[in-house]
Amino acid sequence: MGFTRVSIFAVPAVLIVLLGAGPALAQAANEKVMQERQALMKQQGADMGAVKGYLDDKNDLAKASAAAVDLSATMKKIPDVFPPNTAGPNPDGKYETKPEVWSDNKGFLEQRDIAAKKVEALQVALKGADKAAIQTAFGELGKEGCGGCHQKFRAEIKK
Amino acid sequence: MRRLSPEIPRRNQKITPVIAGLLLLAVCSGAAFGADPGAVARGAYLATAAGCEGCHTDKEHGGQRYAGGRALATPFGTFYSPNITSDAETGIGRWSDAQFLRALRDGVRPDGADLFPVFPYTSFTGITDDDALAIKSYLFSLPPVRQADRPHDASFPFSWRFLLNFWRWLFFTPGSFHAQPNRSAEYNRGKYLVTALAHCDECHTPRNWFGAMQADAFLAGTRSGPDGKKVPNITPDPTTGIGKWSEADILNLLKDGQTPEFDFVGGAMKEVVDDTARLSDDDRRAIAVFLKNVPTKPFEGNR
Repeated sequence: MGFTRVSIFAVPAVLIVLLGAGPALAQAANEKVMQERQALMKQQGADMGAVKGYLDDKNDLAKASAAAVDLSATMKKIPDVFPPNTAGPNPDGKYETKPEVWSDNKGFLEQRDIAAKKVEALQVALKGADKAAIQTAFGELGKEGCGGCHQKFRAEIKK
Repeated sequence: MRRLSPEIPRRNQKITPVIAGLLLLAVCSGAAFGADPGAVARGAYLATAAGCEGCHTDKEHGGQRYAGGRALATPFGTFYSPNITSDAETGIGRWSDAQFLRALRDGVRPDGADLFPVFPYTSFTGITDDDALAIKSYLFSLPPVRQADRPHDASFPFSWRFLLNFWRWLFFTPGSFHAQPNRSAEYNRGKYLVTALAHCDECHTPRNWFGAMQADAFLAGTRSGPDGKKVPNITPDPTTGIGKWSEADILNLLKDGQTPEFDFVGGAMKEVVDDTARLSDDDRRAIAVFLKNVPTKPFEGNR
């Protein structure tokens, strides 16, 4: 009898905890991945800044080349920071990840490959130390690599 | 017939150089008449600045250049760009110079129908005769593409084309571009690009309920841009606009799509940057100079 009485309350209580905690846990995981995603993008932005800094005579070639190595490494990590079904607003509240990242995951990964190829081209140009070639490769990577992905898979939040 | 036929080969032999000469003449005169090579090259540049190809090509579905069919979703319905290749049946191949100018700058088709202002004739009205006809020469120098136009899917009451006449009467100010004599040549060139040829104002200026640009919020951004997207404020407002951007920052954006934070633009602006990247440094600088000098307006964007 005592058992029955407990279970009458326990079952709904457990259900409530499970139902409540599930999304909450998922949300916490999402927030973590969103932070990681944005941090990776900011890191890539800083790397692009270092390359641009060399083009604008603000830092040296070694710094730009190191940034390109980092870009090459971070491009490989992109799928890790886009685990399934983590669309939504970024922590800075400016942009959001579109669900197309997963509904067109093939397209998303192809776009990542395009960006990775453009990084390789930038590295080749940096080895040649020819500013005109570096500028071209930098512009291509920015427009077609970064911008190409932002065009299809990122949206500005209307606030 | 029987008597003539053996003669034909002989005659052909004599005639061949003549025909070749005539053909050469036809090609040359054709080039001089319809397509002066200088005008074609200039027209190609101007068409890039005007972004014609972006809207008039259904790139997403592998459509041919300038053959139209690209969907443009607006708060007033979905519009499909028409074929502007030189195809006589489905394109604009039969249009005279005067008809082309009227469509481009006054928004009226040769058959007298009013164009929807999704086609930016409200800005193009400022394009000079020379520039407009160079663009036509360029378009007519490209291969014609046979592709029928897809009807628009405009929402009521915007679907009623005859109402456009009324709209024009209310909101359209035809007129060529006038340089401001008290401003630099660079500023005026920038103004011509931003307000006429490159029609930046069409996306960056908010519109009223009837889809007309709000002059008092020139370039101040909107939440209801093309495809329902937010379009940023590009006036010198320091918090909601680009007041903190240097001229070099604007140039970087127009050339590489790069913002001062080393972000790279996506969305509709990515397509625009594909074109502005191909402009001359002088033209990009002119745009920057003009933008630094437009009236400062905060982003309101709720209209």
